[in-house]
Amino acid sequence: MFRTVYPLAALVGQETLIRCLLLNAVNPGVGGVLIRGEKGTAKSTAVRALASLLPEILVVRGCAFSCNPERIEGLCSGCRETASRKTDRRKVRIVNLPLNATEDRVAGGIDFSPAIKNGRRALSSGLLAAAHRGILYVDEINLLDDHIVDIILDAAASGYNRVEREGISFGHPARFILIGTMNPEEGELRPQLLDRFGLCVEVTGAQTSEERVRLMKRRDEFDGDPQGFCQRFQSQSETIARQITEGRKILPRVRTPDHLRGFMANLCMENHVAGHRADLVLEQAARALAALLGETAVTVEHISQVAPLVLAHRSRDEQTPPPPPSPPDDEPEEDDPRREEPENENNHQPRSQNNQPRTEEQNGPSPEETPPEGRESSPAPNEEDRNFLIGDTFKVKRISSSKDRLVRRGSGRRSRTRIAQKQGRYVKSSLENKSGDIALDATLRAAAPCQKNRRGKSDLAVHLTASDIREKVREKRVGNFILFTVDASGSMGARGRMAASKGAVMSLLLDAYQKRDRVAMISFRRNDASVNLPPTPSVELAGKLLSEMAVGGRTPLSAGLSKSFEVTRNYLLKEPTARPIVIIITDGKSNVSLGERKPLDESRALAAAMARDERVKYVVVDTEEDGIVSFGLAKQLAAALGADYFKIDDLKAEELVTIAKGEK
Amino acid sequence: MNSARPIYPFAAIVGQERMKLALLLNIINPLLSGVLIRGEKGTAKSTAVRALADILPEIRVIADNPFQLSPDDEYDVYLEIEQALNGQPPAVSEPPVAASRKVRVVELPVGATEDRVVGSLDLERALKKGEKRVEPGLLAAAHRGILYVDEVNLLDDHVVDVLLDSAAMGVNTIEREGVSFSHPARFTLVGTMNPEEGELRPQLLDRFGLCVQVEGVQSVQDRVAIMERRAAFDEDPERFAGEWTERSEMLVQRIEQAKALYPRVTVETTILFEIAQFCLDVGVDGHRGDIIILKTAKTLAAYEGRTQVTSDDAQRAAELALPHRVRRQPLMAIADNAQALRKNMMVGSPQT
Repeated sequence: MFRTVYPLAALVGQETLIRCLLLNAVNPGVGGVLIRGEKGTAKSTAVRALASLLPEILVVRGCAFSCNPERIEGLCSGCRETASRKTDRRKVRIVNLPLNATEDRVAGGIDFSPAIKNGRRALSSGLLAAAHRGILYVDEINLLDDHIVDIILDAAASGYNRVEREGISFGHPARFILIGTMNPEEGELRPQLLDRFGLCVEVTGAQTSEERVRLMKRRDEFDGDPQGFCQRFQSQSETIARQITEGRKILPRVRTPDHLRGFMANLCMENHVAGHRADLVLEQAARALAALLGETAVTVEHISQVAPLVLAHRSRDEQTPPPPPSPPDDEPEEDDPRREEPENENNHQPRSQNNQPRTEEQNGPSPEETPPEGRESSPAPNEEDRNFLIGDTFKVKRISSSKDRLVRRGSGRRSRTRIAQKQGRYVKSSLENKSGDIALDATLRAAAPCQKNRRGKSDLAVHLTASDIREKVREKRVGNFILFTVDASGSMGARGRMAASKGAVMSLLLDAYQKRDRVAMISFRRNDASVNLPPTPSVELAGKLLSEMAVGGRTPLSAGLSKSFEVTRNYLLKEPTARPIVIIITDGKSNVSLGERKPLDESRALAAAMARDERVKYVVVDTEEDGIVSFGLAKQLAAALGADYFKIDDLKAEELVTIAKGEK
Repeated sequence: MNSARPIYPFAAIVGQERMKLALLLNIINPLLSGVLIRGEKGTAKSTAVRALADILPEIRVIADNPFQLSPDDEYDVYLEIEQALNGQPPAVSEPPVAASRKVRVVELPVGATEDRVVGSLDLERALKKGEKRVEPGLLAAAHRGILYVDEVNLLDDHVVDVLLDSAAMGVNTIEREGVSFSHPARFTLVGTMNPEEGELRPQLLDRFGLCVQVEGVQSVQDRVAIMERRAAFDEDPERFAGEWTERSEMLVQRIEQAKALYPRVTVETTILFEIAQFCLDVGVDGHRGDIIILKTAKTLAAYEGRTQVTSDDAQRAAELALPHRVRRQPLMAIADNAQALRKNMMVGSPQT
């Protein structure tokens, strides 16, 4: 826009990425592309470079919604009324949706300027309108606010954007190609949103020094003389642009032979794809590829070339029966350990029988149970599965999802209190009048239609009344507080168990890191519980402490519980809006009491008392092995606490994106 | 900033050579996209950045333009923005007045709200005239200058997202509060942080071109020198600054010369291979590392008055550009020393 853009033709490597973009440019039916990859791999550069290569389309002149004059039934109300429609040709647009966009700009709203000046009720169309028949591009899409994501999902699903707010009601077609980039290190996408993307491509940096050198040279030349550099690639850029234009022309004539439809359906089924979008996208993508190559019939070759792109983010593990593509919100309470086989990365999990609570070190029979290293099947897409002496880590989904739900559900409550602090991102406005955090734009929009009748004496252009006042609804993603209460008693020291537990805690910590939660850690052993780490945002510190945590001694579960209560209570006093999550990692045994009662009974009573504070959410992670004798003590504890109960293995995410990454 | 009280001169800072070098390189070549200074309290981090104001070169800007546009390269952008703001292009008959001023250091306070950073609806204008106007934020002010964030790791998450966005694209896009607008925002991001208070997000970390670790000076003599200079400065800032004027000016000259020399610096392909190999050995995500090393090496050569990048330049550049880019295991501390790291990797001992 403001600067010479690095040309697409000059990218080194990244053929798959470029192909994905071209497929979308040829056939909007492909449904967009999600570009995942580490930082500095030309993700954003590629998308921006695409803009200059896009073909032209015919639009109604002056129409804010880019109506297609050739399709009468798709016209917006404005265009339908004007009899003589003039047309323009312009390039397909790439509309950039910045992360800090507010709802009114995304969906559209009333334009207060003309309303105030002439009392005319004019619409200010939003980004979705601008993106109609074009491309909606979101950089770092995984960081986009949930409110905005909801709007996009809604529009993408129906192809229509309906605005009912601020006293106006209008709608317009909004069919756009969604292109997003993301770095998985910063957290994953909501499954619902993920599924909207037709294709998904994983990009990595070049691994040979020749390529890297070529890349450096080009970049250096570009920085030295951007214009000259682009001119050098001019002819290649034109070739690509022509390819796109030609492809668009051929596309309507591209046919898919019937027998290949079966092939595609099989392909989808083999990959346990949820829903039918994959089948549809697969066909469209194959047709686009054929068109791009100038052929009029889809072949097996085309299909197998695009299949990985279509299926990458949709295929699931064979072990799981394909569950419906539901957002993580509706999380069923399931206790059965799923996906038994692939996830035994925790190398040593001998069947130790720690049935005698007092036993200090009672080892399970053997390491012969040690399952093979399941690295490849490990769901983590980035390099998170390493052995730290902590047991292997894995991607956590369950807890995080319930956390997500907490944020969203609580969002009404949370935001209101948050507003008082005037922090966080302004996402939309509301009528509530409590905080004094006035949303000026929304207030003006509310006041605008009435200005004509309110013309008064003051020299201000706008006359506001109390009923116009709108307030900001802010959303802040930070702010979960997670307290880890770790059982470090001797019973946990049984071989492998602590390693596995530490692995679980580490995974949760990593998750907390991505979500930027505050963490604290308590461990209990011998006769006492101690706060190893007071509430801090430094997850690194927690990780370090975790690796140094000593194990041994008896199990004062009650002390651990009461300490947890103390810490959360103090935290809540400081930040009343927080909704702490306490994760208790234990086998549920207890053999030291605080008072006179039996240790086990005491801890139960304590747990029941703690459960009464609704602001705190408890999660119990059971470390007990499924042995011949299992006590299910942790389960009982969870019941008393009203906590979610998980086995370590249950914590592992069912990764939707299982992009096979060859281990280098 | 332009108050009567002079700032502590850059040239008078004792020790901290790497930090000073990283800052100077960024001034010479804004394409290095910034430096992250990590270290404990009281190690002249902030002093150094503030002192930069003194030695920064001059740039030409359109007078009274809130977006710091250049009258030469960005004239068409200027027209575009004026058009967007006023609904009509400015009269061609009166070209904008050009002015010359020093590159600015814009400070982004940790508590800054998002609307102040990106810009928002102009309240006065909206109420008095009923017009939508953009009130430019800090990003507009920082265009072609330095954006300085003290304690960058404590920055609000939203603000970080915004920084990521505009640092990557060089454009700040506003789509909020009824305003739809964008303007160029290319800045050198300078951040300081104390790692004890938590790490940066990987994505933001990568946006900093260079990274230096600072610690307290260890020699007694230097510490004494620090105390003496500081005392002298506090006693009579003006006289102290006056004593250092000559050296500051020498520095300014050297920067100007290096800037002029930079386009003529060349690199041999063997050195490029060396850089690529280094990055592969150490394990760097993506390609920003390679590119930054190359640019840093070229800038280093220019700073030292040479037109040929040597292998030594590349090594030194790598030390500045790689520590925060090395592919870390989760939650692992940031490497202090890229060279040592490389050796470790080469030996092949599996590090934890």
